[in-house]
Amino acid sequence: MARGRRDDDEEEFDEEEEEEDLEEEEEEEYGGKGRKKRGRSDFIDDAAVEDDEEDEEDEDDDDDEDFGGSRKKKKKKKKMKGSEFIDFEAEVDTDEEEEEDEDAEDDFIDDGRGADLGEEEVGRRPHRPTTFLTEDQEDVEEMERQVYERYAKSSHVEYGEEATEVEQQALLPSVKDPKLWMVKCAIGHERETAICLMQKYIDRPELQIRSAIALDHLKNYIYVEADKEAHVKEACKGLRNIFNSAKVMLVPIKEMTDVLSVESKIVDLARDTWVRMKLGIYKGDLAKVVDVDNVRQKVTVKLIPRIDLQNLAAKLEGRDVGRKKAFVPPPRFFNIDEAREMHIRVERRRDRDSGEYFETVDNMMFKDGFLYKTVSMKSISSQSIQPTFDELEKFRKPGDDADGDMASLSTLFVNRKKGHFMKGDAVVVVRGDLKNLMGWVEKVEEENVHIRPKMEGLPKTLAFNEKELCKYFKPGDHVKVVSGVQEGATGMVVKVEGHVLIILSDTTKEDIRVFADNVVESSEVTTGITRIGDYELHDLVLLDNMSFGVIIRVENDAFQVLKGVPDRPEVTLVKLREIKSKIERRSNAQDRSRNMVSTKDIVRVLEGPCKGKQGPVEHIHRGILFIYDRHHLEHAGFICVKAQSCIVVGGSHRNREKPGLNTLNSKLENLKSPFRDSPERPPRGPAGRFGGGFRGGRGHDPLVGRTIKIRSGPLKGYRGRVKEVTGILVRVELDSQMKVVTVNKNDIADGAVPSTPFRETARYGMGSETPMHPSRTPLHPYQTPMRDPGATPIHDGMRTPMVNRAWAPMSPPRDNWEDGNPGSWGASPQYQPGTPTARPYEAPTPGSGWANTPGGNYSDSGITREGSPLYGSAVSPYLPSTPGIQPMTPSSASYLPGTPGGQPMTPGNMGLDMMSPAIGGEGEGNWVMPDILVNIIRPAEYPHIGVVREVTMDGSCRVALGSMGDDEVVTVLQGELEPVRPKKSDIIKITSGGQRGLTGKLIGIDGNDGIVKLDDTYEVKILEMSSLAKLAAL
Amino acid sequence: MFFHIQLERNMQLHPRHFGPHLRDKLVAKLMKDVEGTCSGRHGFVVAITGVDDIGKGLIREGTGFVTFPVKYQCVVFRPFKGEILEAVVTMVNKMGFFAEAGPVQIFVSNHLIPDDMEFQSGDVPNYTTSDGSVKIQKECEVRLKIIGTRVDATEIFCIGTIKDDFLGVTSDPGAAA
Repeated sequence: MARGRRDDDEEEFDEEEEEEDLEEEEEEEYGGKGRKKRGRSDFIDDAAVEDDEEDEEDEDDDDDEDFGGSRKKKKKKKKMKGSEFIDFEAEVDTDEEEEEDEDAEDDFIDDGRGADLGEEEVGRRPHRPTTFLTEDQEDVEEMERQVYERYAKSSHVEYGEEATEVEQQALLPSVKDPKLWMVKCAIGHERETAICLMQKYIDRPELQIRSAIALDHLKNYIYVEADKEAHVKEACKGLRNIFNSAKVMLVPIKEMTDVLSVESKIVDLARDTWVRMKLGIYKGDLAKVVDVDNVRQKVTVKLIPRIDLQNLAAKLEGRDVGRKKAFVPPPRFFNIDEAREMHIRVERRRDRDSGEYFETVDNMMFKDGFLYKTVSMKSISSQSIQPTFDELEKFRKPGDDADGDMASLSTLFVNRKKGHFMKGDAVVVVRGDLKNLMGWVEKVEEENVHIRPKMEGLPKTLAFNEKELCKYFKPGDHVKVVSGVQEGATGMVVKVEGHVLIILSDTTKEDIRVFADNVVESSEVTTGITRIGDYELHDLVLLDNMSFGVIIRVENDAFQVLKGVPDRPEVTLVKLREIKSKIERRSNAQDRSRNMVSTKDIVRVLEGPCKGKQGPVEHIHRGILFIYDRHHLEHAGFICVKAQSCIVVGGSHRNREKPGLNTLNSKLENLKSPFRDSPERPPRGPAGRFGGGFRGGRGHDPLVGRTIKIRSGPLKGYRGRVKEVTGILVRVELDSQMKVVTVNKNDIADGAVPSTPFRETARYGMGSETPMHPSRTPLHPYQTPMRDPGATPIHDGMRTPMVNRAWAPMSPPRDNWEDGNPGSWGASPQYQPGTPTARPYEAPTPGSGWANTPGGNYSDSGITREGSPLYGSAVSPYLPSTPGIQPMTPSSASYLPGTPGGQPMTPGNMGLDMMSPAIGGEGEGNWVMPDILVNIIRPAEYPHIGVVREVTMDGSCRVALGSMGDDEVVTVLQGELEPVRPKKSDIIKITSGGQRGLTGKLIGIDGNDGIVKLDDTYEVKILEMSSLAKLAAL
Repeated sequence: MFFHIQLERNMQLHPRHFGPHLRDKLVAKLMKDVEGTCSGRHGFVVAITGVDDIGKGLIREGTGFVTFPVKYQCVVFRPFKGEILEAVVTMVNKMGFFAEAGPVQIFVSNHLIPDDMEFQSGDVPNYTTSDGSVKIQKECEVRLKIIGTRVDATEIFCIGTIKDDFLGVTSDPGAAA
């Protein structure tokens, strides 16, 4: 800024001096005099007055010209002295008031000052020397005065009472003041132009401009203060930096102050702050400020050098380095030894300012591998620098401790969001006297945070600046990252290193390093985001190329998917649109032992890279299992394997029962599974399928091992197991006689009864597994009921027959019994397939495999089941028998204890009764058998007719009402039942005696006896009528 | 820490279980349902020690299931911050090791392993002191202090430290072998 003066100032100056002498005597009257003078010219007066004063003070007033320089100095010093100064000030004060009154006239100097006192102060200093240098003695003299004047005024302002708002307002420019004009000039020559203008004014004082201003931050323009545009143009004329054509723009009064107001934005470049380079090869690189030279606007920063040593070496040797390459060397620490190896001269020099030693190469200074570079403040950006962890890590050299971190903190703090601290946050003081004091935030007010210190004996709350505090976490705290790269992740604090936390992520179980500042305490558990669109973490998804996989990680805009490729884990990153759909269908698979695997089953991997891993199945798709093993750290714990290389934990190797581990349901599933998934089992004869299932695997004639009956010949009716098949002959081991006989293949029949539906069920093959145990057989039968009528009881069927046997003390007799009545029940018509009744009947034969039953009856049934193995055959007919026993089995009890009438159909019981003579006696009372017609007699009720459906353990029966048994089913006590006496030609059932359970036709009645023709054998028997019951016509 | 407490639960029972053994069924189901589960408040239910009271069953409309309020005594295990536990190391990796104390899984980060112990990879990854006198590997028993717990719906996960006095390996079956 340059100040111009009207030339008359100078001209009049001499006159003034003369006057001065005169006036000296009357110094006391200075003020009055001044006023007088001012009448003529404000400015002159003023200056003169001051001069007078000076002279007095200095006491050597002889010749101004002689004293010029030295006096000035003295004067200045004196000026600053208190008492005189105040004196003077008081006087000036009055002047000023008047001055202001008269401002309007022409006192531009005051005016300028008045408008911008502070600014003037700042701006003037640098220019003062120039002015002095360029001016001659007289000028010096004048400048002196000027200086006085100004200092006086400014000091007045400074020391005076505080300027009130109103006073400040008064200082603002008004319409009466000279205006500010904006003039375009050559770019980069703003200062120069301003100085030129100033000089021009000095050379040609007739110019009517008052000041010229160049602002550092404004390019291409300078401001000129003048009353009229013409004055500005006049002044600018001929200046080479100002274009003639340049338009002169008026600055609105309101904006005038803004033009010259000092921007309060102070770039706070302190040491140790992080900055980023704006230019050159280091553009964007993080740097740390090591020194700031505010005067020269230079900063020394520490950088990780990007130096191509080879290139450097070449350059130093004077070889042609070639053109500047596009290639930017990666940042790397400078290694002196390496450089020396490349014959680069490394000097060790001491820095003049800091006294530190630097390695110097090609004018570049290095220390500890860092490059120290002095750059202009403009070439770095210091605003909102958020160094990433990696960058900071690089800057960390071994030996750096938390102090180094503290430095980065300072930068971090700048970037804090508003509301960073919340009430209750645990904080630690990181700066100041109370460093390391911990406490809790009580209150936040703008920048000040009140904390409740942890330490006792301190005031209740202490206020700190936000920047002095840092959040504090303890190991074990569960936190959530709220900003930064890891935003959204949660985890537990494992370690606290200064303001850096090491967190163990909840999901990945990996360490994450975060700034304490970026973290809040939280009980939430996430990996960050867990879903994009419809897809969520751990979903099974179908991908574009028909492959599939499990989402193991959700990233910002993509998923990491563990693909369904066994053998090796294959992870791909897929975008949302690459996912076709979510696979939600629940499917099953078979493990190595053909156990059924469904989701949530726990399986163990038997082979492959993940051998030995174990965990619940999360997804199944196309025979591929996705297992979640919490010990597996990769892929979010997911393992992808073929179902075939796993085994269900708790499953048997050959068997699909999973003891205990599974719910009833899964058990059921298991039981059912063989149907679906034992392709291995070759379908045999329609009847013979079941039973021998696994044995078929031996590769023999399917007949081998089967239980058959001999249909004709001398051994007709015998049963046995096929040992060998040779052509048309079959060697059969008779069950009853412990000898092996050879029979014609055509003479044997599969033991199975043609009641196919049962057979289907019986396929379970369980029993067949252990042919040794006759007891097994009953198993099958159990199943049957499950299928059709009983529904629930099924499970029991599955249970080990052994148990049944053990628990049912009666079962052994069965065998005997069978022995005892070989043919008898074979004859019973109930055998007809499809009759539900038949089932119960078939039942009694459980032991028959053993029993020496002559097979006749069976053959009658007309089924030639060539393939059925011993057991198979044994099984089928007896299916029903077991149900009878079942109720006794403890296991069954445990399973379906509650089922009313569940399995009760006690054919077994009956059979047993019959078998054991002892029980036989009781048989009388226990006449109720399934399928017979009964009258229900309840007190106060009309007797209903009904058909017994089942007889339960506890002696009650389920009876279907109606003569056909097609009405509702009720449960009644046996005591309430009465058999319906059969009439001639009725189909009957024998309810007691040796033939109990057999059916036949009542062909005649003789008194108390009935003549019965048994269905099975066509034998005619005479039985007591009381032991006969009418069968329901079904 | 183990606690013996009384808890209550509403059990739903399928109608097929109605019968003379209803109570047994209910208890069996209760055990199946409850033992081994984990709740944030009580921790893991280790075992049911007794059934105090079975309230009146309430038939649910529509399903036929019956809801019984059951009060039972059980032993629960809940780890606490600061608790010292003995646990068996189940896995060792470079980030630390996992150990199990019953149903609770505890992770000990390498930051919480004494500084003189270093991770040794190889067949049997382990942490070993520089002089080789102490080794942490799979199957080791360690005494550790829990410094943090995280409670999920189905498990409690803890972070432990052995960087403290009297913590560390207590027995090492692997070393003996």
